[in-house]
Amino acid sequence: MSLSSPPPILSVRPSRALVDEAFEVLVENLPPVSPFTLRSLHHSEDGDDWEAYGHYFSDHSGRVSVSEDLSFGGTYSGREPMGLIWSLRPVPGSRTGLRLRKKDVTTPMLITISLYNGHEDFRDNSPLVSMVTERWYMGPGIQRIEITDGGLRGGLFIPPGPGPFPGILDLWGGGGGLLEYRSALLASRGYICLALEYFKTGQMKSTDLSFEYFEKAYHVLKDHPQVIPDRVGIISLCLGTIVTLSLVVESAEIKPSCVVCISNMINKSPGKTLSGFHRSIPSKFNKIRVDENNHQIWRDVGLALLKEPSMKVDVAKINCPLMLVNGCDDQNWCAVETADDISKTMNAAGKGHLLTRVDYPDTGHLIEPPFSPHCFAGNFFVYSSNEKVIQLYGGKTKPHSDAQDDSWRKILSFLRHHLYCSHKAKM
Amino acid sequence: MFRTHVSVKAIGRLSGFIQMDPDFTAWRKLAGLQRLTGKVRWKSNTRPAPVLTAAPVRALVDEQVSIRGHFLPLHCPVTLHARMHSDEGDLWESFAHYNADERGTFSLTRDPSVGGSYLGCEPMGLFWSMQPAPGGREGLRLRKKSVESPYTVHVSLLEGHVSTSEGQWSELAAVTVERWYIAPGVKRIEINQNGLVGTLFIPPGPGPFPAMLDLWGMGGGLQEYRSSLLASKGYVSFSLAYFGHKDLPGPPNCINVGDSYFKAAFLLLQDHPQVVSDRVGIIGLSFGCYLTLRIPTKTGVKPSCLVGINGPVGSTVSLLNSDGRTKNFDSSQEFWNFDDEGCVIFKDASLPANIPPDKFLQVEKLDCPLMYIVGEDDLSTASIENADLIEERLRSAGKSHLLTRLSYPGAGHLIEPPYSPSARTSMWSVKPKKLITMWGGHPALHAAAQEDAWKKILDYLEKNLRS
Repeated sequence: MSLSSPPPILSVRPSRALVDEAFEVLVENLPPVSPFTLRSLHHSEDGDDWEAYGHYFSDHSGRVSVSEDLSFGGTYSGREPMGLIWSLRPVPGSRTGLRLRKKDVTTPMLITISLYNGHEDFRDNSPLVSMVTERWYMGPGIQRIEITDGGLRGGLFIPPGPGPFPGILDLWGGGGGLLEYRSALLASRGYICLALEYFKTGQMKSTDLSFEYFEKAYHVLKDHPQVIPDRVGIISLCLGTIVTLSLVVESAEIKPSCVVCISNMINKSPGKTLSGFHRSIPSKFNKIRVDENNHQIWRDVGLALLKEPSMKVDVAKINCPLMLVNGCDDQNWCAVETADDISKTMNAAGKGHLLTRVDYPDTGHLIEPPFSPHCFAGNFFVYSSNEKVIQLYGGKTKPHSDAQDDSWRKILSFLRHHLYCSHKAKM
Repeated sequence: MFRTHVSVKAIGRLSGFIQMDPDFTAWRKLAGLQRLTGKVRWKSNTRPAPVLTAAPVRALVDEQVSIRGHFLPLHCPVTLHARMHSDEGDLWESFAHYNADERGTFSLTRDPSVGGSYLGCEPMGLFWSMQPAPGGREGLRLRKKSVESPYTVHVSLLEGHVSTSEGQWSELAAVTVERWYIAPGVKRIEINQNGLVGTLFIPPGPGPFPAMLDLWGMGGGLQEYRSSLLASKGYVSFSLAYFGHKDLPGPPNCINVGDSYFKAAFLLLQDHPQVVSDRVGIIGLSFGCYLTLRIPTKTGVKPSCLVGINGPVGSTVSLLNSDGRTKNFDSSQEFWNFDDEGCVIFKDASLPANIPPDKFLQVEKLDCPLMYIVGEDDLSTASIENADLIEERLRSAGKSHLLTRLSYPGAGHLIEPPYSPSARTSMWSVKPKKLITMWGGHPALHAAAQEDAWKKILDYLEKNLRS
């Protein structure tokens, strides 16, 4: 086959990167001032196809640079160097309520980026050129150790080198299960990180965890020969924030150097177990609303629970730096109102100086590591009624993605400040 | 926070001698002394270790990596120690001395090495200055056999300016870096059909793509690593075996394939459904460069461009000729020279003056652009003289405009993709007797040549195969 026009050249640099690293997508050798679409495609572990695309015009030198040029529409618009990743969404015709989460962190996410002619009907054409890029949660040399002693279920991630390293306990939320990707990423940033499973998906009812379970996990970190015992922190999201705040306030064993709570909940279980905490929530299920798509909005459940003082963790007793990250459009829980409540209580107790708060406008509940696709509504298994519903998490894609990017950097900076060094060393 | 250790200088004083700039063997003896006297170290549990970072941690071998250190004491002397295993299991290593700045940081893209395997500001110095670790096999040359897996390089940050890797007692931090010869999505296809033996690499995407035929020298075998890199840049690339491969016919020590073999290889590319048929080039090093010049002048195929590195215009090495006869390569030894240590220098065998006139290729018949790359310290091929000959013949034929000549002082024979260690000498053969050959090249100059030449080759291919 002979050449009628020079083939375009598509480059993605770096072609292999960690998921929180940006890349540069550049196309050259195009006909000048012509419409093109760049499309990313990812086949998930669950077997679903996710895509994102942006419409561009080549300049007079036949070039399109995603870092520099505007997208004129698609799943993202404007100047968005990473739009092809953060605006990924299930292709039309997919199952509903999907959420993109990597289970196996030892392998990369493969994303194919292709260039098409045209804008509106770009799918009618075959791609002109494609590249594959790898996005990794785990850096090379990171060790992954399964933790199964003493009934614990978790994954421990250890950076290369002798250490010693600060440690982080990583707690997720109401979805349950063992999610390792944030831990793998934190290990790639220099922390020994333990991702802890505290109930299996759909089995919250059978979970009757005493503080002892979490204290054991905390000790796995604290007593690890490569961990600095007085530099252990906790990061948590959603239901995990209740666990975290309860433990910090009431456990004699758990005294972290700092705590990060994302998408806050504050409802306390009576006593030194977490067995009661999930039972309090269904008591307010009459407050659940639904939107026009029949997606469940749970935030008013939280608002009702906030009104009951006996049902709250006594955050006045917190003695370590605490960072709260919340989305103002969180439809799943009243995270911002919860953070207001926490602020008020801590200020009244003279502990306001320990608190760092960041609230992001138009941002939803699932504030994840950067460039993760925004999950606006997702499947959820309601333990008390054994039904599967779709919960609304909220947020608008672009502001939510910006919040993920910004909050990750702020979280890393907070952790570095409290767990590494307090002087202003630049990294 | 800082590990203390019985310092080498302290041992020196105890032992009654001090060396300010010890040579390598003396340092090894001191390290042995340290192990005997035991290590004193404590670990403070209030401050974390310094941090060593690399970005990107996974990269193609021709991409730069930025290595930095943080949270060190101000102006602290440190050593960076890099080590990795080759596919054959040999350990390669390098080290360099740096000083942290007034903020306790250092950066290889900004700061100079003040000692070790390389000096000065060399962002990629740790990679190209690697040498086989002491105690290993002799005559090693680093070549990736399996291109689908990366080299895993472990980089350690050690306290002080040290020259030994023994013991981990002074390791402050570490980072692991992967170096890849293949980009994600590139397909690797083994070719063993119609007599052709080689490996084809196809970039991801629909194509069609420009293509390159990739030829190496009389070391023989099948070398895939340059092809896989070219495919990672968007070229269909075909590494061809023609000598010293188990799937090729005939007795060893002879080239048992003829011109028709190379023509068939070129046509395989040209006729491939994902290749643009009028955008096929050839790249060759050493005898592969001779073949790069021979294929268009003898077989009638029309490549779009040629890249020849350190190769002869004429050779007494014979291909299988039309009578089915071959000549044993080793019999042409009259021009081999030997240095004081018995290393063989092949250079004179390719001096134009030593080649019978009928063995020269008719380079004046070339009709396509040719880039010819010279390592001025090449001890294996008389590259400068051959380059002069090509230049003269093309000029006489009014074809000077076809030639681009690159010449690198201090560079040796093996001008390969960048940021890899170069070998000044390596094992040539073990039978009938052990022979080590000299390639030439001085490490820092050779590394600079590889970096520059690779960039220029890629630009050249883009200009001739894509526009």
